[in-house]
Order: sequence, then structure tokens, then C-alpha cells
Amino acid sequence: MASSQMPKSILKKKTAYPATASSQAKADRDRETAVYHANILKTRKETELDVLLSTETLLDYPTSSQPADNPSVEDATTLKALLKPFQPSDYDALIIERNIENRCGFALCPKPNRKDTSGQKFRFIGQSGRAENFKIVHTAELEKWCSEACARRALYIRVQLSESPAWEREAVESRVKIDLLDEPKSVEMTVAEDLQRLNLNDNAFQHNQQGRADLAMERGDQGFTARNGLVDVKILERNVQRQPEAPSSNEGELSGQFSNMHLALEGHTPSFDTRNKIGHDGDDEMMDWKM
Amino acid sequence: MSADEDRRVKQLEAGNREAARMWRAWRTIHQMVQDRGYTLAEEEVNMSLREFKDKHCSNDGHVSKANMKFSAHPSDDMMRKYSTPPTLREPNPPAPDIGPIWCEFLEADNVGIKHLRTFAQYLSANNFHTGILITSVNITPSALKIIPAVANETRIETFNEQDLLVNITHHELVPKHVLLSKEEKSALLERYRLKDTQLPRIQMTDPVARYMGLRRGQVVKIIRKSETAGRYASYRLCV
Repeated sequence: MASSQMPKSILKKKTAYPATASSQAKADRDRETAVYHANILKTRKETELDVLLSTETLLDYPTSSQPADNPSVEDATTLKALLKPFQPSDYDALIIERNIENRCGFALCPKPNRKDTSGQKFRFIGQSGRAENFKIVHTAELEKWCSEACARRALYIRVQLSESPAWEREAVESRVKIDLLDEPKSVEMTVAEDLQRLNLNDNAFQHNQQGRADLAMERGDQGFTARNGLVDVKILERNVQRQPEAPSSNEGELSGQFSNMHLALEGHTPSFDTRNKIGHDGDDEMMDWKM
Repeated sequence: MSADEDRRVKQLEAGNREAARMWRAWRTIHQMVQDRGYTLAEEEVNMSLREFKDKHCSNDGHVSKANMKFSAHPSDDMMRKYSTPPTLREPNPPAPDIGPIWCEFLEADNVGIKHLRTFAQYLSANNFHTGILITSVNITPSALKIIPAVANETRIETFNEQDLLVNITHHELVPKHVLLSKEEKSALLERYRLKDTQLPRIQMTDPVARYMGLRRGQVVKIIRKSETAGRYASYRLCV
């Protein structure tokens, strides 16, 4: 008899859970995920603080009393540098803050903003007699600036700012250069700028940078999140070993291709098991997931 | 009645209305500071409208907010409530994270970054632990970002005058909220064998939480009337 044989248990075998080796790996992975997300939040917080501090600096601009159509060189360069991480909404906030301080909304204008003393909510503006030249504008909108020219200058900058927040901008986007409508017009500056422009065309380094940026764009580089992403993506060139071979122009093959060319997806023709499918088609509605 | 006199009467009436409004906000903010556990004299809290007008109104009935400000110190009870109990690992816990409070009414048509920055500088220069700024208009969103930026120096809370016209905790539908000390909190968690995240929650932006100045991680005991049990206490964790 098989009495010596132990009866076989019908219960599930216990697995060592959590397995020590895999739980260590899991803990590591969890930690990595946590650190990754914490890093994203950190960069975001830092950028937001940066924007706040820049806004505070720009509240007291300009540092010199040069008019807005010919700002001082230092002010113009700092303004361009400080505005880089701004979104249009941040820029709007800056304009509002400047208006609270009774300054023109354009950061390089030393004049106070216009004040409407009539107490009207809306204003007519227009130049000549034609009806379409006239507009009804909210007075608050007009009080943002000292003049129409300054409004143009400020909004010229606004449209150059990127809509996406600075912490998730792509590598290419974050190197956008901001232009002013009225650049500083001092003599040395124009010369310096010309020199810079000259450099831009000649310098191999600049060219290289541009090339890299283009490549990043082509690859779909996603900025910070992808560069330091959880998934380690390595791009490898495909190494083709066999001899290149000219496409054949066989008559039969070609005609076969023509018949189902409309089905081709980027050159590949998907083939379905049509016979099988037809056999089952009318059978059972409940089984249609079974292909 | 001449037009001149008419205008004067109207101005006086508007001034009276404004004075009554400010008095109510003034009373609520005092009650709030007292309810949080700071020491205030009874006559300061229960100031009548007449006294308020004598003190803060100019001759033409206009309220001058420039001197509507006061400070208060935490009472011993409050210090005890905010203190950290000593443990075996840490026999000398840090001092309670509480200190003198400063309340100020701000008279401005727009409140921007500059106003809040000056307020924060004033608080840290005079070693105030907490500051309450009461404005008549909404503060711009970018100015509100100053508050977390200076959070490690001083704690700023902002209120709108409009929200202080009535004391919400005196409403019959608002149950009584009692802040638990750290000791009481750990006793509660031990009694019910809970982690603090397993408690029901209350938001920091909740009107009552703002009134009490709750901080993240604190627990309030909420005592409601109950038809069957007489009183019913529940606990909420501030998040």
C-alpha cells in the first residue's frame, strides 16, 4: 500500500511573499520613482520662486530715466534675461503689479501709467471718421500704459513668451531669445550687436548648437522630464549587414502590390486571417473578441 | 435744506455706515485672536461702537485705518497646547512654534507684492511670529506667492474685511471646534489605533480652519449636538 506516501496537499503552495530579493528591487524602484517626482516638484518650485523674484526686480525698473523708446543697455539685457522663464500669465501679473505701483506696464518705461479721472468704465478710441476705426475699450485696459506706443512695446514682448511653463519646456524652447520693439540705440550697442551678429554666422560653435537643437527637436526631446526620465531610452543606429539590393520590378509582384496598395500602412500591408474570420462571423456575437 | 448741507449729511451717513462695518470687522478679529488663545483685555474685545468711533474715526466720520493695528502675546494655555511633549529619544523638545501676533488693517485700493513684502519685513524686523493682514480688496495672486516664500521667517495670514463682518463660529450651524495638543493627538491615535492619515480631514482653507489658524497635521475635535447622543465628538486632521 502507499501508506508511506504522504497525501498530497490540495492547498496552494506558499510562496515566500514578499520575496526578499524582489522586494529589495521594488523598494529601490519605488524610491527612484519618489525621487524622480520630488525632483520635478523641486524644479517647479524653484522656477516659480525665480519668476516671483524677477517680478519683484522688474517692479522697480527701469533703473535709469531713459525713455522707453531708447532704454539703457543694461536694463534691456537684464529684462531679456529675467523674462525667459515667464509665461504670458506671469507677464500679465507683472503688468498689474507695476500698475499698482503707479508705473507704466512696460517694464522699461519710467513714466507713470495713464489715469482716467472721468470715472467712466468704457472709452471710445479711434483716429479718423470711419466707423471701423473706432473701438470701445475698457478704461482699465487703457490705464495699464502711459501711451499707446508703450502698450505696443509691452505686448510685443508678451507674444514672444512661451505658453508652456518653464519647468516643462523643451530644450530648444528654453533658448528662445526675446526681442524688444525698440532696442537700445546707443552707438556702442549697435556696434556690439553687429559684432555679435557677425559672430553668429561665422562661429562654428553656434552652428553646432543650432544643429544639436534641431536634432533634439527631430527626436522629440521632451525637456527635463524626458532627459531625467524613469525610462532609460538609448538610441542605437541599426546596423545593416546585407548587401543593398535594388527594388525588383517583377510584373506579377507589382500587380499583386497594386491590388492591395490602398491597404498599405507606411509600406506594410497587414494581412488578416480572412478565411477564419468569415467562418466565425455570423456565429456568435459574444465571441467576437476571439478573432 | 441747502445742497451743501445735504451733501454733508450724506457724507456723514456714509461715514457712519463705513464705521459700523469696520467696527464689526475689528470686533471679529479680536474675538478670533482671543479664541486662538492669545491674551487680550476684555475691554479691547468688547469695544462698543461709540468707543470705536471715538478712537478710530476722524471728525467727519471717516475711519482711519492707519492706526487700526494691535499685537497680542500667546497665553500660557496656548503655549502648552502648541508644545511638543518630551519623548525618550528627545528629552528636550524644541520650544513651541508660537509667538506674538500682529494684526493690521491695510488701507489700499490694490494690494500687490510691495504691500505684502513690507508687511513681511515689518513682522520679521519686530520678531512677530504671526501676522494677520486685513484688506478691503482681494490681494493679487502674485502677491500671495510671497507668503510661502517668507514662510520660514514669519507666518502671514490674510483676511478680507467682508469675511469678518460676522463671526462665523457664532452661527448655530457651525459646531464647536477644539484644537488638540500634540499630546492629546497621540493619545487619540493610540486609543483608536489609528494613523493620523486615517482620520477624517479638514482643509486648511476651510473657513473655520482659517479662523483658528490651523496648521497641517493638527487635529481638531468637533463637538456637534446630536438628537440621540446629546453630544457627538468627531476628529478631523488638518491637511
